[in-house]
Amino acid sequence: MANLSILVVDDDPVTRALLTKRLANEDYTVETVENGLLAVDRLGQQFYDVVLTDLMMPGGVDGIGVLEAAKRINIKTEVILITAHASINNAIEAMKKGAVDYLQKPINFDELFLRLDKIRNLKMLIKNASDLREAMDVTEKTSAETIQDLEIMVADMNQRLTAVKTALAKTDIDAESRIRLVMQALETASPS
Amino acid sequence: MIKIKPEEIKILSSYIYNLSGISIDASKAYLLETRFGKLLEEEGCKSYSEFYHKAKSNSGGKLEKKIIDAITTNETLFFRDTNPFDLLKFKILPDLMDARSAKGTRAGNTQLKIWSSACSTGQEIYSVAIVLKELFGPSGGPKVSLVGTDLSDAAVAQASAGTYNKFEIERGLPREKLQRYFTMAGNNWKIKDEIRAMASFRRMNLMQPFMGLGKFDIIFCRNVAIYFTLPDRKKLFNKIADVLEPDGYLIIGSTESLTGVCPRFVPKRHLRSVYYQLS
Repeated sequence: MANLSILVVDDDPVTRALLTKRLANEDYTVETVENGLLAVDRLGQQFYDVVLTDLMMPGGVDGIGVLEAAKRINIKTEVILITAHASINNAIEAMKKGAVDYLQKPINFDELFLRLDKIRNLKMLIKNASDLREAMDVTEKTSAETIQDLEIMVADMNQRLTAVKTALAKTDIDAESRIRLVMQALETASPS
Repeated sequence: MIKIKPEEIKILSSYIYNLSGISIDASKAYLLETRFGKLLEEEGCKSYSEFYHKAKSNSGGKLEKKIIDAITTNETLFFRDTNPFDLLKFKILPDLMDARSAKGTRAGNTQLKIWSSACSTGQEIYSVAIVLKELFGPSGGPKVSLVGTDLSDAAVAQASAGTYNKFEIERGLPREKLQRYFTMAGNNWKIKDEIRAMASFRRMNLMQPFMGLGKFDIIFCRNVAIYFTLPDRKKLFNKIADVLEPDGYLIIGSTESLTGVCPRFVPKRHLRSVYYQLS
């Protein structure tokens, strides 16, 4: 699976630069925007696996707004909130609205990478499960066709064999007539 | 995780077979570990022998039920395979109604009994109920009795509650049917009372004699016999033949076959579906 694509949303240029550098170093694909409004706009244009957003941002759309927009646009996008210690209650509220996790400032990068790894593993598992289900559906469908065709075919052959047996058992007619009856039984169009 | 020993595989498989008819051969020992690993820890058992003796010492008890719930496969979805439900709507129900009216029974007095013999969490029987609702409309149509049975208490309880989480509801159910026949209940969806009221559920072991069931016009027995041995499959379909009306219909799983299993049934084809009737 390709590495996760991440959208960083933060009004502080230093945090944006730091996150970009550290995430790019770990081979994640990173893009940044400086406010919630731009984030919503960007999410409408492109899919991101993960949105990493500051909870408190100036302008009309804060972290919760970004979370709601991201989930509305694509439920598969996971959102991690970055929060100052004072706003932990808001972060917990955000988890209830579908955020996958939150991180406290200053960002501990080991912690962030662990969370991202977890998201990546979860996404891989979900993909595996849906691939398996799809493969099972295809296998089931094709084998069902074969089995059902065979089922009808065997029943039809059994019916003909019974007719052949009945014809052969008719001792009151000569061999040639019996053969004619047998041929008739074998040539009769299949009932199905 | 606690490992299962070869001699424990034998004891446990035979215990499960006696409880449920489900046949697990030694090559599927991993199934015992994956399905019972958690239960073993919950029960604080140090080995599979201890687990077996604990369950065995309390026949019909809680642990026995948990074992059945863990070993039964509840894979199911609304309108699974689609074809059987089209068959029901366009062939079986119209034909049965015709046959009954030819006998002089008026539509309103016709009683149709339909059985989902391994109903799991109820998706199959509710799909049948939705087909009936859409075919006959809110009034008119035959009186129907839908019966769902399953070996697992947990499955029967969920079927009876008619409540499904978002993963279960997403599978197989078209959006307009979801909106028409379900209501939101917190994070779950609940089948509406008008559909729920059409069905009744109870726990039943298909290995045991069929008592007090009566006869059915349509029987669904899909994807359950695959877990049984051939001799048990023969017995099962023979008993099913006994409780099917002479002009009734049997529908089995799309990849199952009755060839060499029960000669009392004849396969018949309608478009892309195969169904069975008594010969």
